[in-house]
Amino acid sequence: MSELQRVMCVEDDPDIRMIIEFSLLNLGGYEVCLCAGGPAALVQAPLFRPELVLLDVMMPGMSGPQTLAALRQLPVMRGVPVVFLTAKAMPDEVEDLLKYGATGVIVKPFDPVTLPQNIRIYWEHGRDIHAR
Amino acid sequence: MLRQPPDLMLLDLLMPDLSGFEVIEQIRAQVSERWLPILVTSSLPGDAPFIEALRHGADDYLVRPINADLLLAKLGHYSAVLSLQARLTAMAERQRAIHDNILDAVMTFDADGRLQEANRAAMRWFGSPVVPLRGMLCRQVLGADLAELLDSPDVRLQRADGRVFPAELTLGEWREAGRMQHTLVIRDLTERQHIERMKDEFLATVSHELRTPLTSVLGALGLLACGAAGILPKPAMTLTEVARRNGERLSHLIDDILDLSKLEGNRLQLQLRPLKLDALLQEAIAANAGYAQRAGVTLGLVLPAQSALVGVDADRFLQVMANLLSNAIKHSSPGDRVEVLLLSDKDGVRVEVRDQGPGISPEFRPHMFEKFSQADGSDSRAKGGTGLGLYITRMLVERMGGRIGVTSTPGAGACFWVTFSGSEDVTQAARPWLLHVDSDADARARLADWLGPHYALVWAASLAQVQAQEPFAQVQPPIIVADPQAQGSAETFCAALRRRALAGQVILYSDSVDRAFAQHMGLPWLPKTSTTQAQLLSALNDAAALASRKPA
Repeated sequence: MSELQRVMCVEDDPDIRMIIEFSLLNLGGYEVCLCAGGPAALVQAPLFRPELVLLDVMMPGMSGPQTLAALRQLPVMRGVPVVFLTAKAMPDEVEDLLKYGATGVIVKPFDPVTLPQNIRIYWEHGRDIHAR
Repeated sequence: MLRQPPDLMLLDLLMPDLSGFEVIEQIRAQVSERWLPILVTSSLPGDAPFIEALRHGADDYLVRPINADLLLAKLGHYSAVLSLQARLTAMAERQRAIHDNILDAVMTFDADGRLQEANRAAMRWFGSPVVPLRGMLCRQVLGADLAELLDSPDVRLQRADGRVFPAELTLGEWREAGRMQHTLVIRDLTERQHIERMKDEFLATVSHELRTPLTSVLGALGLLACGAAGILPKPAMTLTEVARRNGERLSHLIDDILDLSKLEGNRLQLQLRPLKLDALLQEAIAANAGYAQRAGVTLGLVLPAQSALVGVDADRFLQVMANLLSNAIKHSSPGDRVEVLLLSDKDGVRVEVRDQGPGISPEFRPHMFEKFSQADGSDSRAKGGTGLGLYITRMLVERMGGRIGVTSTPGAGACFWVTFSGSEDVTQAARPWLLHVDSDADARARLADWLGPHYALVWAASLAQVQAQEPFAQVQPPIIVADPQAQGSAETFCAALRRRALAGQVILYSDSVDRAFAQHMGLPWLPKTSTTQAQLLSALNDAAALASRKPA
């Protein structure tokens, strides 16, 4: 498989979910699975089998890092790159997020026009790491 | 009588069983806290008995038979003196009460550094019922000499109950009878720092809450503008562009306010690493090319053949350049050129950003880098700035050890320059450099503040992180300062540091190990809680001297 097709997005804010869906579906042409939180993502991941996950950091209940840890337990998620979405933009905070094992961090507000292209770069990068 | 002494005493020298002189002496011995005037009377001939009485401590005398007018006149005189004394006592008590009720600790040391006065807070913080503070040396009371304490930017003191607290010190110097006196005021900053932390958390939350809706607003506008929802008619496009531009302005304002709060509170962590600026400048030009293109401005970059290494934080340097470039572009007209020059010599580097804009008037130039400053009150609206950009830029440059300034001829553009001292090579750095390995971010920040002026500092949370950092993975640092806390087995960690440092020196700066452990490892040790900046610097000097003697 040489092209990114299925992207899962975990984000608690419904408007941001809609913007992401619009961007990834209409501009990127990806298949998109939207989840409002970590628990939904854990249920959906085995069914949808995402090739990349966009994961919000600050969510009520299960946080982004907690969701990432739980997703990593699923066999279907092995080697799937996860990119954090965060409104916290200090460089040290970004570094801390990468320590959780994410492939990248996208800072809010992000540009939905370039989002499909940016996550494809992360996906390729993540795939390279996995291939090594 | 002595339980409630009178205000004044008339005493006859001739009494049946006790001599008047003995009475005077006893009264003087027992009424010591205030002055009790004693007038002696006698019918003995001559002055001799009176002279003897005055020698024993009497104040005055009357010859018997007593002249009633003279007695009244004397009583009037003593009454006036006594009321003056009462007023002085009340005034002194009032001053004492004010001194005692100051919530900060106030201590006065004499020229020899011995404590003369301490208010109630000082006694409570540093004294104990068994150890009187008076007469003790500053070092005995506060753990360091006065000069040493005042030199440290970040003082931590220990109370008698063992609690260590961050302190702010202010010193007043004055003279008493020609002798220098030092009055030290110590303020406990625990509460203030707690409030600062709460402010940081609040700002982080607010910025998150503001950015979340802004993400949807800007996202939706961006999608509309790019035609993702169908091609917009031209007027709608113009309106969308206005909304988007202002949304972005709001977004920058949130970033600026967060930066400002961290910079002013000295809580911004920098990762200073020796870097060549060529690549960073190319990155800065690329990042701002879009903005320049929209403004019809050409960007140029002039690099020297060889450039020095400079200790900067890459992200923050890019932020500095973004501010200077956007500023230059903002004040340029379509068709103008903005040029970035990198000048490098043995002393360091100078980066210049030159524009062909209207320039800056000489009156405004000194205020350029101040908070909320803009050449013209209306300028912020016209040019879309917050008045924080150059202020933040200056703070960032200064925190990275650089300097910033501007030269300009009104009508002929402006040239903003930034200088950093640097060197040709990491291993021959003009400033010695050291590696600080510590998992505690606060300790890293403190050392960066303490040692920043003297050392190029590279820090990491763990040794693994050092290995991951180019170009340090290969270079042996002359000095490593490290805390084995949270690094696994302390012994294994120290052995790894040893291998890493090779010819260099390792210093343990830690509260998680003790002297016995350090001696066992053969390494110098400084406890975090009680080591002052001066002590740390002197230990580093010793280590540097040792390192230079060891064969590499």
